[in-house]
Amino acid sequence: MASVLDLRRRIRSVKNTRQITRAMKMVSAAKLRRAQERAFAARPYARMIASVLASLVRRADPYDEKTGEPASPLLVARPEKNITLVVVTGDKGFAGAFNTNVLKQARQFIIDRDGVDIDLEIVGRKGRDVLRHSYPVASVDEDRRMAEGSRRSREARVEITGEHGGILERLSFDKASHLADTLVHRFIAGETDAVYLVYNEFQSVIQQRMVVKRVLPIREVGQEDVASARELTHEEREELAKSARTAGVSLSPEDTHEADAEASKFGTANVDYIYEQPPRQLLAALLPRYIATQIFQALMESVAAEHAARMTAMDSATNNATDMIDAYTLTMNRLRQAAITKEIIEIVSGAAAL
Amino acid sequence: MAEANAMHVRLVTPDKIFLDGYADAVSLPGRSGYLEALYGHAPLLTELGAGEVALHGGEFDGRRYFVAWGFAEVLPDRVTILAESALEPQEISVPEAQAELERGQRLWNEAGEDGARYQEANAIIHQAEERLNAAQGSGHNQ
Repeated sequence: MASVLDLRRRIRSVKNTRQITRAMKMVSAAKLRRAQERAFAARPYARMIASVLASLVRRADPYDEKTGEPASPLLVARPEKNITLVVVTGDKGFAGAFNTNVLKQARQFIIDRDGVDIDLEIVGRKGRDVLRHSYPVASVDEDRRMAEGSRRSREARVEITGEHGGILERLSFDKASHLADTLVHRFIAGETDAVYLVYNEFQSVIQQRMVVKRVLPIREVGQEDVASARELTHEEREELAKSARTAGVSLSPEDTHEADAEASKFGTANVDYIYEQPPRQLLAALLPRYIATQIFQALMESVAAEHAARMTAMDSATNNATDMIDAYTLTMNRLRQAAITKEIIEIVSGAAAL
Repeated sequence: MAEANAMHVRLVTPDKIFLDGYADAVSLPGRSGYLEALYGHAPLLTELGAGEVALHGGEFDGRRYFVAWGFAEVLPDRVTILAESALEPQEISVPEAQAELERGQRLWNEAGEDGARYQEANAIIHQAEERLNAAQGSGHNQ
């Protein structure tokens, strides 16, 4: 049986832990707010690229009328014999089930596509740490990484071809576009027949889902090509909402409808444009940028989702600590009372004996 | 706030709306050469190469930004520029651009018969040269 002193020590230690988790929650909340703002600020560009592309596709036939040749190799769908899967996890833990969920979804994807060769591109240190245990790293000729046929040979059905740890911390468009370039290159070279992205989509704190999305080949511009998705459960949403409220993060994102509508007008005015370059050429130049924007957007949303998950995890940790302190305090008080009562009984029975 | 002949100019980068305001004229580094848009310009879509976007008149008179790649829509009363990055001349690092130029020249020398690599090298050289020009241009004007 623990003594009053032991319990007091336990309580002090749990109180310290609670302070840390509370601080971590507030830090995550602040980071979440910033990540959310960044994701919103980036929307006009993404919208504009998508809308100008959609309008170009309408005006310029993406496939040549006579030869049927596509304007860009990125539009060509091939049978999916070799797939590249980009797994977007976080760099750090302590974010509840965030990383586990992404990895679960990725594993499911690999299991579902039995008999298909899969290359993994891993974003985030956590994913790398876990997936390295399960899959071998592909042997790639580093000097000729971007060149055709850089792959030496395939040893297993699932191999890790790239690891991108630490790009999320100070995420910039350059880094996302570098990753996109690698993927586009590989797709054009025929090393891969499709590129999928598995990540945590983030619309607002309570609107999130885990999605597997195809980014290459491009089926239809501006249309999401979602292979599978997992929505938040009711409990998860409640928890997120609760922790956001206590941390002072607004649940409803800023109203961006007006700005979005404005952005979607880009390049779509109802006039005959003069094209400085042939529309097909414009189309071919824009498509790789479109991929880069999509990946940038996905990474940014994943960062926001990670902070939201961490905030929630830290919120429940703080609550658990409070519960524990309450329980220990109760036991401690009871023990103390028991000791006092015992002493009184001793005195009383001693007095009665006289 | 818009004056009679002012165009609404927006410069949008992947991170944010970089600039949003009014100007009398905008010059753009089109892929096939610089072009200047004034109020009432015919609707135009163009890809931008590496070079400077310059604004004349209005609240941002004389502002110049270096863009590496972009895409622009010109309408009679507004210009919208999508740029992968926008830098002010003083933000450009000359040594970095110089190093990039040398890298491009090295690639150019190594390219040999490979057309794609040759093109890539040319693109790098062009971008670095434009960047240097933009950086030095600011020195002359000040």
